[in-house]
Amino acid sequence: MKHLVLPNSGHNYDSEAFKLGMWLFLFTEILLFGGLFIVYFVYRNLNGEAFLHASYELDVTIGTINTIILITSSMTVAMSITAIQKNNKKLALGLLWLTLFFALAFLVNKYFEWGAKIDHGLFPGMEHYLHLPPGEKLFFFLYYFMTGLHAVHIIVGGIFIGFVMKRIKDNEVTDEKFTILENSGLYWHLVDLIWIYLFPLFYLIN
Amino acid sequence: MKDKENKHHVVSYSENFGTWVGLILLTILTVTVSVVNANLITLTVVTALLIASTKAILVAYWYMHLKFDKKIYRIMLGVTMTLFTSFMILTIIDYITR
Repeated sequence: MKHLVLPNSGHNYDSEAFKLGMWLFLFTEILLFGGLFIVYFVYRNLNGEAFLHASYELDVTIGTINTIILITSSMTVAMSITAIQKNNKKLALGLLWLTLFFALAFLVNKYFEWGAKIDHGLFPGMEHYLHLPPGEKLFFFLYYFMTGLHAVHIIVGGIFIGFVMKRIKDNEVTDEKFTILENSGLYWHLVDLIWIYLFPLFYLIN
Repeated sequence: MKDKENKHHVVSYSENFGTWVGLILLTILTVTVSVVNANLITLTVVTALLIASTKAILVAYWYMHLKFDKKIYRIMLGVTMTLFTSFMILTIIDYITR
């Protein structure tokens, strides 16, 4: 007997549409950060010297470590998709745990990095900050805003991955039906992509 | 049949690792140019953006599976990036011609 699935009965699963929807969301994210990058370029153009001077305050070592952490976490997510396609549930979960660990490591680094600056009064509204020239104030404002928004994305991405891990454990994500894992991966890679641009623009240019 | 194959293309672990190696090498390149040779070569905005964009393409094509997915995703991303790049170029032209 043929099992009929009515349209919109809640039983249909369209992985292509699911993924397309995720990409559309990612485009709005690209434009959100894109707008901020345009702000950055405009103010850099107007305050070249101040931006250069302020960028020396940032710790290139921590920035580089965090870049490597994010790139590696992107690899572990990508590999977990391979693992689930090969029906290796245990490896997929292990790789996702590793990704969460990297996400945490990134945030811990960020905590120490921000913490050191805040200790020096380098935060909008604090003593040291208020005595900076206007261009440097702009640099630090943008630095906190953009890396902060990025850190929020790391947290959201981590929660999304955690949610998918639960679904993998419950066998709701399998080698036949893994689009939600792909989507969480896409989100994670986007967060990595944004960092790929944030890192040189804030830490490296001299 | 081809569609089904496309949908279930499995990216091997070694391909994923290879992409990682590429990304790490480019990171080392961009940091080295900036830090070690600070006095010789300065990392200009253009160089930094070129290296970053190469990394972005690596991530998008291999990790985000654009290379293996249907063409529609590449077209859509292309349209979005063209839109964004035009905003960017128009704004920059505005500021440098004042």
